[in-house]
Amino acid sequence: MESLKVLVTGGTGFLGSEIVKALVQAKNYEVTAVDINPPALGTSTFADVRYVRANILHPEELAKVFKEAKPAIVIHAVGVYPLGLARYSPKGKEAVFAVNVEGTKNVIEAAKDCGATGLVYTSSITVLVDEIDADFANADETWPTGRAKLVYGQSKTIAENLVLAANTTDFLTCSLRPATIFGPGDPACIPTIHSCIAKMESPIILGTGTNLCDFAYVSNVADAHVLAVRNLLNSGTAAGEAIFITNGEPIAVRDFCLALWKEFGHIPPFQLRIPEGLAWWLGVIVEGVGWAVGKQGTLSRGVVRDGTAVRYVSIAKARRLLGYKPRVGMTEALEISCAHYKRQIGGR
Amino acid sequence: MVSPLSLLYYTVHPQELRSIIQWKVWHNPVHERNEREEPESLKRCFFFLDMTSRSFSAVIKELHPELLVPVCLFYLILRGLDTIEDDMTIPLEKKEPILRDFDNIIEKDGWTFNDNGPNEKDRQLLVEFNVVVEHFKKIKPAYQVIIKDITKRMGNGMADYCNNAEFNVNGVDTVADYELYCHYVAGLVGEGCTRLFVEAGLANPALLKRPELMESMGQFLQQVNIIRDIKEDLDDKRRFWPKEIWSKHVTNFEDLFKPENKQLALDCSSEMILTALTRADDCLYYLAGLKEQSVFNFCAIPQSMAVATLDVCFQNHDIFKKNVKITKGAACQLMVESTQNLRLVCDVFKKYVRSIHQKNNPHDPNFLKISIACGKVEQFIESIFPSQEKPKDLKSPATAEAAEKVKLEKQESRWDMIYMGLAVAITLLIITGSMLFVAWMAGARFDIAFTQAKSELGALFGSVQGGIEDVSDASGHSEL
Repeated sequence: MESLKVLVTGGTGFLGSEIVKALVQAKNYEVTAVDINPPALGTSTFADVRYVRANILHPEELAKVFKEAKPAIVIHAVGVYPLGLARYSPKGKEAVFAVNVEGTKNVIEAAKDCGATGLVYTSSITVLVDEIDADFANADETWPTGRAKLVYGQSKTIAENLVLAANTTDFLTCSLRPATIFGPGDPACIPTIHSCIAKMESPIILGTGTNLCDFAYVSNVADAHVLAVRNLLNSGTAAGEAIFITNGEPIAVRDFCLALWKEFGHIPPFQLRIPEGLAWWLGVIVEGVGWAVGKQGTLSRGVVRDGTAVRYVSIAKARRLLGYKPRVGMTEALEISCAHYKRQIGGR
Repeated sequence: MVSPLSLLYYTVHPQELRSIIQWKVWHNPVHERNEREEPESLKRCFFFLDMTSRSFSAVIKELHPELLVPVCLFYLILRGLDTIEDDMTIPLEKKEPILRDFDNIIEKDGWTFNDNGPNEKDRQLLVEFNVVVEHFKKIKPAYQVIIKDITKRMGNGMADYCNNAEFNVNGVDTVADYELYCHYVAGLVGEGCTRLFVEAGLANPALLKRPELMESMGQFLQQVNIIRDIKEDLDDKRRFWPKEIWSKHVTNFEDLFKPENKQLALDCSSEMILTALTRADDCLYYLAGLKEQSVFNFCAIPQSMAVATLDVCFQNHDIFKKNVKITKGAACQLMVESTQNLRLVCDVFKKYVRSIHQKNNPHDPNFLKISIACGKVEQFIESIFPSQEKPKDLKSPATAEAAEKVKLEKQESRWDMIYMGLAVAITLLIITGSMLFVAWMAGARFDIAFTQAKSELGALFGSVQGGIEDVSDASGHSEL
């Protein structure tokens, strides 16, 4: 069987490198990984993957790389997200929009020009949940987007709309919306929650502590991308569709944190429950003090919402259209990811 | 008998007392048994039903007339089988052939069995088993086939366990063995009942295509019983908790009951509870396939009781000391809530699963798995009864065509408003006009009315103006 050419943008990033790995393991793909950075030290690289350096903000660079690679399908997994408190701030909007929106525009153009037949875009669950003030209990893809209030969710929504609007009969596109991704080498989720131990924040429960949220293990998300590629090359039923990807195991955020800390041998010695209303006001105060002193605190209204909101979705569509099944369950996924992070911080 | 202790309890828990009264006073059976037309021998069968079953007899007796007798007999046959299997005074060589042949025995006219030990509480049922046989042969052949098939498979399954020396000495070994045991004693009952319901046209035939659902119905009930009865079974020298689970926590089964191993025992019990809890969403799914109210009640009540029992057993060390039960008030409330519709049963499940979630302990080795299992039940309930309404789509339409359509719709609705307003105005005008016309025809003098109104209005304005002048005059005087 002739191998199919697939190009992955962001191919050396946290998710991108996992997608490259999944494509290699699926055997019949010839992979080109495009990234602004070369593979990071310690990450696995593959001998038969072509690694090419390019910046998605430079259309002419992209055009050249794409024409050389001649991919059948492009996976666009580049994205930037503001970490920590920057997530809730409108500052830095231009930088995020440049990469997430302009970059996506460039990738769509380059993909069409080089004769690719399809594009799989890595969107995000935040197109929905960055509305911040609303709860999302078992939401599905029929829920309207466009209400996101945070920069990241807004940028992903615009980019997703661009991708889906580009869907035509000879250029099939689909958009995958993973929940918060975690895994080995994860730059955000695990380090952030882990850092609460040292900051002695682990005993604090915001709100009821029973609100359910979705997470997604990185290799499951990578599987979904490979399945989407396969779908666009075959039946094409996913064309023009946005699809949620999660671990299919909604869990109380508090429990996820507790389970994660437990992997590092930490269980809070006592628990302090702060009702959501009170926490919100504390957030206001901390934000105010932070603004006056010129230094940011840990708490803010955004953090309180992220900690107390109900945010989980149904993955019925992913199961139906893509045949998606989360292969790595939450328990195993947390064990692997935390063991990796333990080695990482231990090695420093 | 009302004890002073329970009196005190219900004084502090008036809502439970309310549930008891509510259930006792207001519950109307969906179908009532027609006792007068029953022959003596059938009455005897129902007598045995009351005698042998505490929880099931009430729900069985309210079943749809089509299934009332078949299900009652099905229950008595399985109870008879169980009484023979349970009786340790019957030697194996005698027991085994009876168990394996029980599906034929139920067709033998006049068959009775007198060799149960004197302490066997249900021995009288077997002594007079001929009444069961008599009526079994009178029910529809299709029902007979189903009951016979299940009896055969259960009898053979039980005989295999009796023969298994390992099982008799050490109890259940692996989780697979445990679930197989529950399959024989409960999963099969689930299958039999489902086939009876479908045969009677009272349940969705699709239930037969998802055998894991009916299996879970039986498994959930049986596993909860096994968890709750740990102490009672120990006293009877029986072990149903699989070694594969308890050996992770203690070396010897008896260690679970030592006070110094309290935490280990709790960890072990929560692993057992987790195993049962993973079946809960299947049970709700199954209940959604039942069409008839009495059948729904028959299935839903035991399930609600089971999930409530699971909650009282969770993180409760008392299960290793005594038989833990839900209170009578809670039981009545559960019965009220389980005899209406699926939504209320889902609320019951949500309530108890959340309670389990609240008690989940981070030190527990299965903390994460229990949390995920709770989340799964909650998500399942949310999928059949969404608590949130999907927000309206406010975003700007994706394409120019769609935008044009929205614009047209808006314009149309504006014109609708204008037309509506015009219609109202014209109607009012016509009514007023015709009334005035009728009045004029009848001789009303509008000219006089008009001049009168004019002069009165003038007088009104005139007097107001005068009033103002008066005030200014008054203030003028006061200056002096």
